Amino acid sequence: MARSTGEDAQALFHSLRSAYAATPKNLKIIDLYVAFAVFTALIQVAYMAMVGSFPFNSFLSGILSCTGTAVLAVCLRIQVNKENKEFKDLPPERAYADFVLCNLVLHLVIMNFLG
Amino acid sequence: MARSPLILVALISLIPLLCHSFSPETPTGRRILVLVDDLAVKSSQSLYFKSLSSRGYELDFKLADDPKIALQRYGQYLYDGLVLFCPTVERFGGSIDQAAILDFVDSGHDLIIAADVQSSDLIREIATECGADFDEDPAAMVIDHINYAVSENEGDHTVIASDNLIKSDVILGSSKIEAPVLFQGIGHSLNPANSLVFKVLSASPATYSANPKSKLSSPPALTGSAISLVSVMQARNNARILISGSLSMFSNRFFRSGVQKAQSSTKHEKSGNEQFLTEISKWVFHERGHLKAVNVKHHKVGEEDEPAVYRIKDDLEYSVEIYEWSGSSWEPYVADDVQVQFYMMSPYVLKTLTSDKKGVYSTSFKVPDVYGVFQFKVEYEKLGYTTLSLSKQIPVRPFKHNEYERFIPAAYPYYGAAFSMMVGFFLFSFVHLYSK
Repeated sequence: MARSTGEDAQALFHSLRSAYAATPKNLKIIDLYVAFAVFTALIQVAYMAMVGSFPFNSFLSGILSCTGTAVLAVCLRIQVNKENKEFKDLPPERAYADFVLCNLVLHLVIMNFLG
Repeated sequence: MARSPLILVALISLIPLLCHSFSPETPTGRRILVLVDDLAVKSSQSLYFKSLSSRGYELDFKLADDPKIALQRYGQYLYDGLVLFCPTVERFGGSIDQAAILDFVDSGHDLIIAADVQSSDLIREIATECGADFDEDPAAMVIDHINYAVSENEGDHTVIASDNLIKSDVILGSSKIEAPVLFQGIGHSLNPANSLVFKVLSASPATYSANPKSKLSSPPALTGSAISLVSVMQARNNARILISGSLSMFSNRFFRSGVQKAQSSTKHEKSGNEQFLTEISKWVFHERGHLKAVNVKHHKVGEEDEPAVYRIKDDLEYSVEIYEWSGSSWEPYVADDVQVQFYMMSPYVLKTLTSDKKGVYSTSFKVPDVYGVFQFKVEYEKLGYTTLSLSKQIPVRPFKHNEYERFIPAAYPYYGAAFSMMVGFFLFSFVHLYSK
């Protein structure tokens, strides 16, 4: 029973990996970028749990900077994905321009709130 | 010709010196009007009047129905205090009536009322306005078959020797009144709705109020400790009123009389009346227990000047000087229960001020983490003392934008994360645009 569960999990993981290998390279780059942002956010949460929430505004802006970046990157990924029919009329240049504009606004707010 | 305006100016500048009246500088007034039923009171109560005039009071004796008497002329009060030793007067002469006397008190002047058996309705009504209701039976007297005075006993036990005095040094002086106080007259009860009036000499539990000449057929209306013999009231404007149910307790006969309480073997050579009435008249005429507060100061710790506005979490120091009038000069008031409030609709800070024994009360505290318009408030109400009510308004502002702490070491990881996100965005843009 336990053995077969382990094999199932392995099989599932293997199929996911082979399916993901087919993903275009530019989407993989975006995924890497999202993973980086989420990882940074997790580090900050762990740090806050250790030292306390004293400069709370700084903590919030640090966390929101990471999550905001991750969210915007995911939005970009949805828009530049060729398989996504919803955005087939939207040129990737336009999607990237939106991404840049949103990031500028995000970082402006973060810098103001960082204290 | 040129000299006459100069003289006029000099005369006008002298006017304040010629006026004696209750003023913040000298609360003890000097001119007292004494209204009597009969000028014989002047001699039968002469010891009491002598103790007043020896303390510097100018007593003006008038018959209560004298048509020329007046409390004020041209809107100015002619007297600083009024003594009503006229229990039977039905109508005052001149311009004085009940309303005039109440106006006199309302403008901050002091009043002594002595009622007696057969008191008139007028005197009763004035006392009622001050919160003391005399027994409605005009012939009623206070009777005590247990605590009567042996020496004055005429069989009806109406001369009471009472030592139920209020325990207050400011009202009765610091030296203890050893001998019992003799009292013969009418009792009163205090209006429970009036919080300003209180008993000074109260009756013992065995006392009752009834007509001593008639047989007691129904239970008396006033009994026991509910009966007050002598009461005082301090109005909200600090005017003081003494209400006594006995005129004879002021008399020379009672002042000089020896006293021995029934069922007690101690015989006192002299009754406590003189000491009691002299001390309480000092209180009534503001020779004691009159406070003033000056020099309210507040500033930030380490600074001298009073700021126009405080910031939240500022440390501040507050100080006020409180003096007590001793009858001739302002002496430092020493107490450990003066409190200051930092108040905005409710007190955010309540601190007891520490006294330096020279009249200066001070404390320091931190402004609460709330901004708005605050007040420094001192509300000091203590039995026998005049009420102090000070308030000073001060706004409190939040931190300015540049007053927050910056570059906190503990926050460097957050700064690093935010900047690494910006750098990451920059690098990602290159990779995203140039990877094919």
